[in-house]
Amino acid sequence: MSKSVLPPKGGLHLPITRRSLLQATAILSGAGILSVHGVPVFASEVFDDIKGQWESAKMDWKRQSGATIVLNGVQHPWMDAITPLVPHFTKLTGIEVKVQTQSESEYIASLPVKLGAKSATPDVYMVWALGQAVTAGWLEPLGPMFADPKLTDLAWWDVDDLFPSTRAYQTWADGNQYVVSVTAEAQTLFANKTMLDEKGLALPKTMDELLATAKALKTDDIAGIAMRAKSGDGATWPAGGFVFSYGGAIIGLDGKVAVDQPEAVAAIDMYGKLLREAGPIGSGNYHWMECLNDFMAGAVAMSSDSSNFATDIGNKDKSAVAGQAIYGGMPTAAGKPAKPNIYNWTIGMNPNAANKDAAFLFLLWATSKPTAAMAAAAGLATQRTSAWKTSAFGERFGKQAVSAVLENLNAADADLMKATWFHAKGPQILDAFGIGVNEVVTGAKDAQSAMTAAAEKMRAAIG
Amino acid sequence: MRSSAARSRNRFILLMLAPATVLLAGLTLIPFVVSVGFSLTNYSLTAPNDIAFIGLGNYLALFSSSEFWNAAWITVLFTVVAVGLQLVLGVGIAALLHHETRAVSALRLIYLLPMAITPVAAVFTFRMMFNPTLGVFNYILKTMGLPAQDWLGSPTMALVSLILVDSWQWTPFILLIAAGGLAALDEEPLEAARMDGAGPMAIFFQHTLPMLFPYLAVAIVFRSIDAFKTFDIIFVLTNGGPGVATRTLNLLAYKQGIEFLSMGYAAAIAIVMLIVTIVASQLFLRRVDLFKPKAAL
Repeated sequence: MSKSVLPPKGGLHLPITRRSLLQATAILSGAGILSVHGVPVFASEVFDDIKGQWESAKMDWKRQSGATIVLNGVQHPWMDAITPLVPHFTKLTGIEVKVQTQSESEYIASLPVKLGAKSATPDVYMVWALGQAVTAGWLEPLGPMFADPKLTDLAWWDVDDLFPSTRAYQTWADGNQYVVSVTAEAQTLFANKTMLDEKGLALPKTMDELLATAKALKTDDIAGIAMRAKSGDGATWPAGGFVFSYGGAIIGLDGKVAVDQPEAVAAIDMYGKLLREAGPIGSGNYHWMECLNDFMAGAVAMSSDSSNFATDIGNKDKSAVAGQAIYGGMPTAAGKPAKPNIYNWTIGMNPNAANKDAAFLFLLWATSKPTAAMAAAAGLATQRTSAWKTSAFGERFGKQAVSAVLENLNAADADLMKATWFHAKGPQILDAFGIGVNEVVTGAKDAQSAMTAAAEKMRAAIG
Repeated sequence: MRSSAARSRNRFILLMLAPATVLLAGLTLIPFVVSVGFSLTNYSLTAPNDIAFIGLGNYLALFSSSEFWNAAWITVLFTVVAVGLQLVLGVGIAALLHHETRAVSALRLIYLLPMAITPVAAVFTFRMMFNPTLGVFNYILKTMGLPAQDWLGSPTMALVSLILVDSWQWTPFILLIAAGGLAALDEEPLEAARMDGAGPMAIFFQHTLPMLFPYLAVAIVFRSIDAFKTFDIIFVLTNGGPGVATRTLNLLAYKQGIEFLSMGYAAAIAIVMLIVTIVASQLFLRRVDLFKPKAAL
């Protein structure tokens, strides 16, 4: 994936506590209705209960007992959440898992070299740039394995429990499935409600309202809005959501460059206007970290970024505005439907893995309902609707945030996002787009000329 | 007998040299030859089986790309200004600290600290300090009644900020070499100038600095090579922005190689950088006659 859409890493450590574990387990054992209504039901033997839910799958978990696989991932909340659960996978299957976690820059530099050299490890890895990986043949097609009843209890794994956007996200252009999602995040508007109330303002519903509200909230000490605008691929993810919501595309569904079309230009014009007129000084160098930190410090009144931020914003130990944030849907533009950007972190299998069945068992287990609920109890925004409905997740993430993010996840158009982010030349396309957005935000170029220049670079890259 | 001893001695020498030779070949020579080879191909990690020899195609594409010339200009500008600033500061501080006292030895230790800090850790700290809203630099400016600055958001300020961070980290290197040079200088010519009535500034600029130059030349070469391939500071602080205002050759090579996986094109950029470095340093060293034995003063 592009770096720009990375969910927060450093600030989002989500330790699984005994309390959260108990809650998740209880909710799972208490069935959906109880968890939806937030009634805690505590189990006495936590891990035995969870084990029972994994074991209820009609498949042989022990069929690769004694095998060893390597899981490689970046420093990310999903790795933080899954790593403590890995011993239970080993207990369940008899498969040893060696976990290798790397920093983002280390990961993107080393993984292509390993995969390009046809190394047998890692067996399972977090997929960085899906388009590149599929084009290069670095991912094993998973469709046949999911379709084989000897390998998968598909009813137990429950594909319908995934968000519709997640199901679309996992499906490649050729109809095959190369990855499985492990998180689901949507571009979400969040604002400091105290600041809104002080000025008698409401959460904006349209882009024009967003601009007016941001300008009204801006003071000498507080910025009205902060969004990513760092050059390169830094600005791309939230700016992409603006383009989609204006009815435009970066790369159209026909595969052609569309970023210089009127809808996309209007969107980037608004994006630049928002940050120039109501953003903090230095917006042109803001990445997600600056947006999140400024908001949590009370230095920014609004932002439009990853839903994953909700966990940190609501954490009193980290955030000066915990309890003050309000979350909303993506503002609409000229009556067009809002199409916030989405991102799913995914995991896939190395086609040169020595024991593909063992790797597949890990994929199934790591993305199953019980495992997702356990990760959600630690605050991870997973790909499963059932996990989002648990009271443990609601408490960690915030109930109002859950409601708003679900609205955004359901409104998102995965195909538009995939046309750009999953393109074989995705990194080149996003680099050109990010430079253009940055130039508009800093006032170096107007939206039309910046997007025209970006489009030329994209066409040259695509060939 | 003698020939057997000579053979034994030669074998011993070869044996002793073997580890270093193997390391040199493994870590430097072979990667260099492979890089040159890659630079003549269309090698991409996303299509490793479609590799084809394209001659100088990558170099021609590079030299006809405005992106390359823009990056080359920024790289040269960054190198010249950063090393120039560090030279002035390093030599100045070294001259001030030349007379040994207890305070000076403590100060020298403090001045050397930036070099001992892990670059990435220091740069991330700078990233927070440069934050326009929450950073300490703008806080200080505001308490002094001055307007907050967009340290990394405008093309000029971004380059200036990068040069300041690089200078904070590497001025001590020049300081160290200049201080060593000053300590080794022959005092007699300086004493003679003093007796002839020359003032401290005249002595420094007309006598000390020329005598110090061979030491500084070494520092300039080392620092220029290092500054020319600076990566971590730029990557963390601006990622080449705003726009492409701080996208240097090294950053361009990173983008092409690591993000776009166009290894052939990235290798061509790296080879061009290597050639520029070698040629520039050789021209400089020849001009200053650094390795020519000097007649006794």
